[in-house]
Amino acid sequence: MHLQMKVCIFSTCIVDLLFPNVGKAMVEVLERFGCETVFPKGQVCCGQPTYNSGYSKETIKTFYNEIDALLSVEADYIVGPSGSCVAMLKEYKDILKDDPAYAQKAQILYDKTYEFTQFIYRVLGILDCGAQLDATATFHRSCHMTRLLKERTAPFVLLDHVKDLKMIPLNNVQLCCGFGGTFSAKEPEISEAMVDDKVNNIVATKAQVLIGADQACLMNIGGRMNRRGEKIKVMHIAEVLNHNVDLKRVKYVKDTDHQMVPANGSGVF
Amino acid sequence: MGLKTSNLTFDERVKKAKQDKFMQAAVGKAQDAQFEKRTRAREELGNWNGWRDLGEQIRQHVIKYLPDYLEEFSANIEKNGGHVYFAKTDVDATNYIKQVAKEKQVKKVVKSKSMVTTEIDLDKELLKLPGLSLMETDLAEFILQEDNWDEPTHIVFPTLHKNRDQVREVFQKIGYTGDNDPEHMGRFARKYLRQYFMEADLGITGCNFAIADNGMINLVTNEGNADLTMALPKTQIVVMGMERIVPSLKEAEVLDNLLCRSAVGQKLTSYCTFSAGKLADELDGPEDFHVVILDNGRSNALNTAFEPILQCIRCGACLNVCPVYRQIGGQGYGSIYPGPMGKVLSPVLDGGYENFGELPYACSLCGACSETCPVKIPLHELILEHRKVEMNKLHLDHSLNNVIFKTISVGTKTPILFKGALLGEHLALKPFSNKKENSVENLYPEGKVDKVPKIAPSLIHGWVDVRDLAEPPKVKENFRHWYDRHQKEKRGEING
Amino acid sequence: MAEVLKANDPKNREDFLDAIAKKANRPRHELKNDPLKLLNDLPETTLADKTPAELLDLAKKNSELIHVDFKTVKADQLAANLTKFIEEKEIKSLMLPSFAADKWADFEILDWKDELELEHLYFWDEANGRDNLINADKSDAAIGFADYLLAESGTITAATVKEQGRGFHFLPTHYLAIVPQSKILPRMRQAIDRYDEALKQDKLKTSNINFISGPSNSGDIEMVLIVGVHGPLDMTYVVIEDR
Repeated sequence: MHLQMKVCIFSTCIVDLLFPNVGKAMVEVLERFGCETVFPKGQVCCGQPTYNSGYSKETIKTFYNEIDALLSVEADYIVGPSGSCVAMLKEYKDILKDDPAYAQKAQILYDKTYEFTQFIYRVLGILDCGAQLDATATFHRSCHMTRLLKERTAPFVLLDHVKDLKMIPLNNVQLCCGFGGTFSAKEPEISEAMVDDKVNNIVATKAQVLIGADQACLMNIGGRMNRRGEKIKVMHIAEVLNHNVDLKRVKYVKDTDHQMVPANGSGVF
Repeated sequence: MGLKTSNLTFDERVKKAKQDKFMQAAVGKAQDAQFEKRTRAREELGNWNGWRDLGEQIRQHVIKYLPDYLEEFSANIEKNGGHVYFAKTDVDATNYIKQVAKEKQVKKVVKSKSMVTTEIDLDKELLKLPGLSLMETDLAEFILQEDNWDEPTHIVFPTLHKNRDQVREVFQKIGYTGDNDPEHMGRFARKYLRQYFMEADLGITGCNFAIADNGMINLVTNEGNADLTMALPKTQIVVMGMERIVPSLKEAEVLDNLLCRSAVGQKLTSYCTFSAGKLADELDGPEDFHVVILDNGRSNALNTAFEPILQCIRCGACLNVCPVYRQIGGQGYGSIYPGPMGKVLSPVLDGGYENFGELPYACSLCGACSETCPVKIPLHELILEHRKVEMNKLHLDHSLNNVIFKTISVGTKTPILFKGALLGEHLALKPFSNKKENSVENLYPEGKVDKVPKIAPSLIHGWVDVRDLAEPPKVKENFRHWYDRHQKEKRGEING
Repeated sequence: MAEVLKANDPKNREDFLDAIAKKANRPRHELKNDPLKLLNDLPETTLADKTPAELLDLAKKNSELIHVDFKTVKADQLAANLTKFIEEKEIKSLMLPSFAADKWADFEILDWKDELELEHLYFWDEANGRDNLINADKSDAAIGFADYLLAESGTITAATVKEQGRGFHFLPTHYLAIVPQSKILPRMRQAIDRYDEALKQDKLKTSNINFISGPSNSGDIEMVLIVGVHGPLDMTYVVIEDR
C-alpha cells in the first residue's frame, strides 16, 4: 500500500459555472490515478477578470478569498483545468509579496499549484492515460499556459498517446484566439477578427475535434464556430484523457524509454 | 506628424482598419514571413535567452546611470569637435535644428529614417523655413512623403499598408513611367534620390545607439541611404532619444546582433556603421556635426513601473507577433509608435491618458510581445500596469463597465454571493437561451444564448454579438453540486 | 526664435541631466561604483572555436546567403580576377583607393593597377577633396580593401581613412572588396575588439567604421526583397588565400 496523494481541486469559475463536464473529467482522471480529491467550497474565482481589467485594488479581496479557500484543506497539490487561471494563482506570490498576512500563503499556493496536464505528465509521471478517441483533432495552444506558465509541451505529449487519435498541427498555433478575458467583450471588433483568424486555421485542418487545455479559450473559439455554423466537436483535454479508458493501456514514464520533454520545448519564439 | 497621428476615436480607427482587407492581408503575411526569418536567425545564433539576458542587462544598466553616460557621451562629442544640444521637448529640438539650418543657409536636406524625428514632427517644422526643401530618403519614408505625408504603420516597415500598385501611383506623380515591379520602382527611387543626395547640404539621421566612451553614433540600416546622409552633406544633425546610449562599442555589438535578428531576421543588416564628424584629414563626412539629445516625455517613465520601456531598441518584433496589430495595423493605434511597445510608450510620452488611454485595453494580454522582446521588456505586464493606473489612480472609465466590474469583484470575493450568482446567472440568461441546432458539439448541452436585449450591458453585448454563449446548467447540475454527489456516492461505496 | 540656443553649453547640459537624475530619484556620478560587467561571455565565445578553414567555409556560406559573389584566389591570381570583374561588369569608370604602393604590391596587383586602361580611372585622393564624392558617384565600380571579413554574417569591415573614404563604399554601382584570409574573424565581436583597442591606443584614427554585409537592399514594397537600393547593386568579395 502506498500513500495516497491528496489533490485539491481548483475548478475555475468558468468550469464551475458553465462546464461541469470538464470538472468531472478532471476529477475522474485524477482519482483513476490514485489521487484523493477534495473541493473546498469557499473558492470562487482567481480574480483574473477584474485584475486584468485594471481593478487591482478591488481584486485583492478576491485573491484573499481564493487563497483562504484553497489552503483551507490539507492537500499535497492544487490542480486546475486551465493554464491561465493557474498562472494567475501563481502570480499572487509577486502581487502579494509585501502583504504581511498573505505573502507566505501565496508562496505556498505557488509551490503546490499545477495545471492539469502538467500535473499528469510531470508530477504523476503518466505518459499514456489509457484513453482512446477515434478522431482527427487539432490542439489550441493557449497563451497563458505557454507564456506565463511556460508549459508548452505536456498536452501534446499526452495527446500523442491517446489511442486512435490523429493530431493535425494547427497553423499559426502561436496566435491568441482573441479571448483575453474581458478584452473579448470590451473590444468585440478586434476580438472577432482574432477569433475568425483562429477559426479559419482550425477549419483548414479539417479536424473533427478541437482540443484545448483552457476552457475559456474553447468557449470563445467554440462560440464563434457555432455562430458561424462550423461543424466541429470541442473537447477539453481532460475529457479526451477520460474517454474510453482502458486501464491496461496506462503507461508511466518510468516504465518506458520516453525522455521527459522539457516544458519549454524547443524553439525560441 | 508628431506622436499623435489621428483625430479619429479609437473605435473609429478600428472600424476603418477592419475594412482595409489589403492591409490585414499584408500585415498577416509580413508577420508570418518575419516569424520564420526571426526564429531561424535566433536559433542559428544559439542560446537566444543568454543573449536576451545580456540585452536586458545592458539596457537596464544604462537607464540606471543615464545621466552619467550622457555626460560622458557629450564630453566625447565635444572632444571630437562636435556640438551637443540637450532638448527637453520637441519644440526645443526643432528650434535648435531650425537654428542650425538657418545659420548654415541650408537649401536641401536629406533625411534617413528616424522614428524620433517623426515624433517631433521635424519635417514639417523644417519646411517652414523659406527656401528649404527636404527629402526622406528611406524608400518607405520617401513613398510616404510623396503620398502627401501619409502616416507610417510600422516602426521598421512604414509602408506595410501599401501595395505595389499604390506605390506605382505615387511614383507616377513624380515622373515614373514603368511597371509595378518593386525592383524597377526601387531603381527609380535610387536615381531620383541620388541627384538630391549629391546636392544636399544638411543630413539628418536618427541613432540606433550612441557610444558613450568614444562619441560615435551607431546606425543599422539596409538601403545605404543613412550612410550617404553621413557621407555627402557638409553638416549632419543626429537626433536621438536620450535613452539610446550604450557604454562602448562592445555593448553596441551585442545590441546590434539582437536588433538585426529581431527586426528583420538578419544576422546583421547590410550596413552597420559607427560614425562621428569627419577628422581633419578625411575627405568626406560632415565638417559640422551636431547631436540633439531628446527627452520629450521619456523621463516620465523614470522611477515608475514603466521604466523598462526605456530599454526598447525599436526592433518592432513585438509588432510582428502581436495578434491585435495583425488585425488593426499601425494606423489603428493613432500613435507613430504602434503595437505593444507603442501601447506602453505612447501614454508615457504623452504624459497622461488623454490621447492614448484606450490603447492599453486593446490587448488580450497574450504575452507574445514579452516573449519575443530581445531586451526582455515585460510588455504585457506594462500594458496591464497602465490599466491599473487608469483605474486605481485616475478612475478613468467612460462606461457602465466600472459598475459591472466592481459588482464582479464583490461577487468573486464573497463565496455566498457567488453561490447566488451561480443561481442568478442561470436564471438571468434562461429567457434568452434557445435550443436551436448547434454546429459545435459538446459545448451547448443546455442550449445557447445568441441574442440579448438591447438594454443588456455593453460587456454582454460585446460577447454575444460575436459568439454564442453556453447556457449555464441548472444549479443542481453545476460542477460543485456534481462533486458533492460524487463524493457522497464514493463514500457510500466505501462505507457499503 | 529670439533666443540663441547654445550647443556644448554647461547650463543646457547640467539642467537636463539634473532633471533626469531628479525624476529617476537616483544621484548622479554613481556609475564608477558599479561598472557594467556582462552576465555571460556569449559574444566572445560564440563561433570562437572555429579553425581558419571552417571560418572560410562559414564566411563563404553566409556571404552567398546575402547575395554576395564570393571568390577565393591566391595572390598571384588576383590581378586576373580583377580584370575579369571589370570585363564582366562592363566597367568603364572605376574608383580605387589611394593607398601607397606597398599595399598594392603586397597583394601582387601593383603592376595591374599601374597598367589599368579604362575610360575613367579615379582614385579616392587627397588632391580631390570633396570632389571624390562626385567621382565616386560617376564610377561604375569601386575596388577596395576591407579590414576584416566576419564569418558569421558575411560582413566586410572598413574604417574610413584618407585613402578610402565613406562615399567610396556607397556611391559606385558595383563593389568589390579584397580581404586576406588571415583577416577572417568569427563574429562582429572580434572586429569590434580590434577597432576599439586601436582607437583607444591611437593606433587608428578614424571618424567612421563601416560593417557592410552584402549589397544594399530593401523590403519596403510589399516586403519583396529589392537588392540594390541606394548603395551598390551588387557586391563581390575576393578572399586572398595566401595572405
